Amino acid sequence: MTIDAHTGVPAGSSALEAETQRVGHSIAGALPPAARHPIQALDGKAMQLASADQELKAALFRFVDVVPACRSMDDLARHLTGFLHEVKHPPAPLSVAMRMADSRAGRAALGAAAAAGVRHMAHRFIVGEDPRAALPVLRDAWKRGVAPSVDLLGEATVTPREADDYASRCAEALTTLTAATAQWPTRPRLEGDSHGVIPRANLSVKISALTPLLRPHAPERGQADAAERLRPLLRQAREAGAHLHIDSESLDTRDAVLDLALRLLAEPEFAAGPSAGIVLQAYLRDSPQMLHRVLNWARDAGKSRAQPLTVRLVKGAYWDHEMVQARQHGWEVPVFDAKADCDANFEDLTRRLIDANGLVRVAVASHNLRSLAHAVAYNRLRGGTDADLELQVLKGLGDGLAEALAGCELRVRAYCPVGDLVAGMAYLVRRLLENTANDSFLHDQAAGVPLDDLLSAPTPSHVLAGRP
Amino acid sequence: MKPFSNEPVLELRRADVRAELASALAESDGRGPVRVPVWIGEDRREGDELISTDPGQPDRVVAVAACASAGEVDEALRRAGEGAGKWARTPAGERARILLAAARGLRARRTRAAALAVRECAKPWPEADADVCEAIDFLEYYARGAIELAQGAPLLQVPGEHNDLRWLPRGIAAVISPWNFPIAIPCGMVAAALATGNSVVLKPAEQAPGCAQLLCEVLREAGVPADVLALLPGEGAVGAALVRDPRVHIIAFTGSAAVGLEIWRTAAETPPGQKHLKRVIAEMGGKNCVLVDADADLDEVVPAMLNSAFGYAGQKCSAAARLLCHESVHDVLVERLAGAITTLQVGQAQNLATDVPPVIEQAAQERVSAYRDKARAEGRLVEGAPVPAAGWFAPPALAAELPAESSILSEEIFGPLLAVERVRDISDACDRVDASPFALTGGLFSRNPDTVEYVAGRLPVGNLYVNREITGAMVGRQPFGGNRLSGTGTKAGGPGYLLQFVEPRTVTENTVRHGLVV
Ligand SMILES: Cc1cc2nc3c(=O)[nH]c(=O)nc-3n(C[C@H](O)[C@H](O)[C@H](O)COP(=O)(O)OP(=O)(O)OC[C@H]3O[C@@H](n4cnc5c(N)ncnc54)[C@H](O)[C@@H]3O)c2cc1C
Repeated sequence: MTIDAHTGVPAGSSALEAETQRVGHSIAGALPPAARHPIQALDGKAMQLASADQELKAALFRFVDVVPACRSMDDLARHLTGFLHEVKHPPAPLSVAMRMADSRAGRAALGAAAAAGVRHMAHRFIVGEDPRAALPVLRDAWKRGVAPSVDLLGEATVTPREADDYASRCAEALTTLTAATAQWPTRPRLEGDSHGVIPRANLSVKISALTPLLRPHAPERGQADAAERLRPLLRQAREAGAHLHIDSESLDTRDAVLDLALRLLAEPEFAAGPSAGIVLQAYLRDSPQMLHRVLNWARDAGKSRAQPLTVRLVKGAYWDHEMVQARQHGWEVPVFDAKADCDANFEDLTRRLIDANGLVRVAVASHNLRSLAHAVAYNRLRGGTDADLELQVLKGLGDGLAEALAGCELRVRAYCPVGDLVAGMAYLVRRLLENTANDSFLHDQAAGVPLDDLLSAPTPSHVLAGRP
Repeated sequence: MKPFSNEPVLELRRADVRAELASALAESDGRGPVRVPVWIGEDRREGDELISTDPGQPDRVVAVAACASAGEVDEALRRAGEGAGKWARTPAGERARILLAAARGLRARRTRAAALAVRECAKPWPEADADVCEAIDFLEYYARGAIELAQGAPLLQVPGEHNDLRWLPRGIAAVISPWNFPIAIPCGMVAAALATGNSVVLKPAEQAPGCAQLLCEVLREAGVPADVLALLPGEGAVGAALVRDPRVHIIAFTGSAAVGLEIWRTAAETPPGQKHLKRVIAEMGGKNCVLVDADADLDEVVPAMLNSAFGYAGQKCSAAARLLCHESVHDVLVERLAGAITTLQVGQAQNLATDVPPVIEQAAQERVSAYRDKARAEGRLVEGAPVPAAGWFAPPALAAELPAESSILSEEIFGPLLAVERVRDISDACDRVDASPFALTGGLFSRNPDTVEYVAGRLPVGNLYVNREITGAMVGRQPFGGNRLSGTGTKAGGPGYLLQFVEPRTVTENTVRHGLVV
């Protein structure tokens, strides 16, 4: 058993475990009824079927993916049936759909129904076409105790103009959000911690959208180009008192993104602000070293900054991509391949972050009740206040959970994508995948795994294998 | 033996891996120009008749080579003939062992070999590294393939007879290789010939003798006998002499269609005294087309096209030359591509930030430039960033709105120029591709499974890539080679390739003696 350095709270100690269970049960008790089965609540039948049948899942995803590119209902229906033909044992409702596609009128009806289905799904995850349209939803959530971080969905950036467009959309979003959030009612729990004021306006940005030049084997050009567009946004956020969060993407750009963020934030002009953050991905085997780097930065180059760096701890959204890419190239797989190892690492990093919360602001982002409960429990046992721990969820995946966390008087933020359907499709498909992945908490929860099992501590594979 | 797997390319996204490359290049430069001899048996005759230079910096000499004389061609073939018998009798397992040793040797010299390709052929690091990996793959793959081939094939057996099908080496293979994959392609052709028990005379491209020399060193060090592998640097005349010679059994060639067809014609002759038909394995040019349907994901099309058309300055046989785009997405795609080519950095191959290196030589630069002028006159030309003055640089360019009969749409340009056409639908696009005599690689972007099936059935190409870039075939995964006038339909790095290098023989023995099966 490891004892965490300065706290004396042993990792996996019975006190921590007991507190984790207690917190977990109390959050679970606060979940709205539908949230106990988020997948059923989602798109009832379709998602349930999809998570049970791999072929069907592939067909459904490929369909959702192509919807924005279809030119007519007829075209939509042809794609749909094309995908469904690849499912060996289509369930009864789908056979009906496929028969419909035999006639032109049938295809029109089928296409319309399918498009409506996808749009309906998309609305769960995408809060509006643009920040202005999203404001009512954001404000509503705020009133109910859930702060937002807005993310602008877009097509891939492949030209300088597209990078400029994204940057100006970000600038507009900052303006819109700052003005609108100023009118929101006070919610003390969401607006301050022991470091001071927490900005209301909060925008997440992707470096890969700020430049078409990010090349994994030559990061410098892309960094320099992205910096040209990121600096003005940082200045604007500083002036507006808004928070800017730099998302993490795949490992191809991880170092480039982190280096750039830390370098710019250490520039003297940003010493006074803005509040900013980076993301740490716990599914990466080298994430403990990354945390080490970030904390060293906070002690050193970032020390003179007025606002501490926010570190958002996540598991990571590109697990399949990292696996496939490494296997295709014969590289060592950079992510954990056992889910429990990823979860255990997430908990290790949670404790290290909380231990360092004098240096950084801690945001733990997950839909896994166990992962969240562990963070809350550890922070409390260590003598911290709930105000010093932010919990984050994704809009659409963690709505009920956010409500429960707010109900437990915890500080919670929802990541809210904004954009049109075409631009949001890659995002939507990723979320659907996540929603139906066998190896996920949400899947287990929906499958009816008992709460005590859902809350049990992850057992790392080296422990299972009997090694120390 | 471990089952075949591809040699992993360098993980260049990691800074520590990138850092090693600079020192590899410095070390390679420090060695000075490579001396490439005419290498026959133990004799190495050095000379300076051929000079190979860095295309990005033409005053930098990379290799100084001798040029094989007619007498040396004759001597090389005489020695190869002497070596052939013993090598043919060497068990396949033993030959394979030597090739595997060569794979190890090349692996040990990976960055050195890649550095040479960076300098001699202006191959950017990621591609130079992939070139060396592919060479290693060929050695590993054909070594295993030859062992399998030596098992023969199962035949129907009935009582009283025994049937046996075996494959025997043909004799002498003349390998004529190009400069664009200066290590992988000669290595593949040589390894296939050696693995199956033939002796080899290698005539590498005059632009890349240094890389060929490194390859031959690796093979000889691994134990390939001296009179089984000869290196004959030189120009076209050396290749032509080999092709004509009645002692040659196999001609393995990769290069232009013009030369390939000339080889095909010459090889068909059977001068008096020649007791065999020559087997020609030819990989020739292409005019590779990518089809984009209305339902394509343009976010993926753009990066894939940048790679396929402009990677290594469009000088891969598999590179994309034409983009046939559904009329409903044509304008959007052209606009995005036009913006995207301005992001491509044209520069020296050793700079990791370079997207488009120089083309191989001045003549190539002039050829590509002439096609750009023509595109400007006939339609609309969008050019990328300005290029450095010294060196054989050509800017990446996009030609649109060309007349249907434009030669830019039919001739192989072999440079960073991509022509975009508007098509009514996918069947229109297939008709246009079908009209071309070339059929090497092709691509399709569509998310409709029915369209994928339709195009796979209609395009004559040897390699069709769906929803991805069309370059970068991997040994054992994408057996590579073209159809029609693009090649003899043989697939490098695929299961049938070695059969081109052997002669089949069926042996049937009567096992009945005086009415008894013995
Ligand atoms: C507010 C917010 C912001 C986010 N921002 C980012 C970001 O910027 N960059 C980013 O990459 N991610 C980000 N994510 C994380 C990501 O999008 C997923 O939501 C998250 O990984 C799901 O984890 P979980 O804890 O909710 O669920 P869990 O079900 O506990 O975990 C699922 C996760 O475990 C990992 N996993 C799955 N299978 C295995 C396996 N076999 N072995 C090892 N690990 C496995 C994967 O990461 C998978 O996503 C963010 C998440 C939130 C909530």
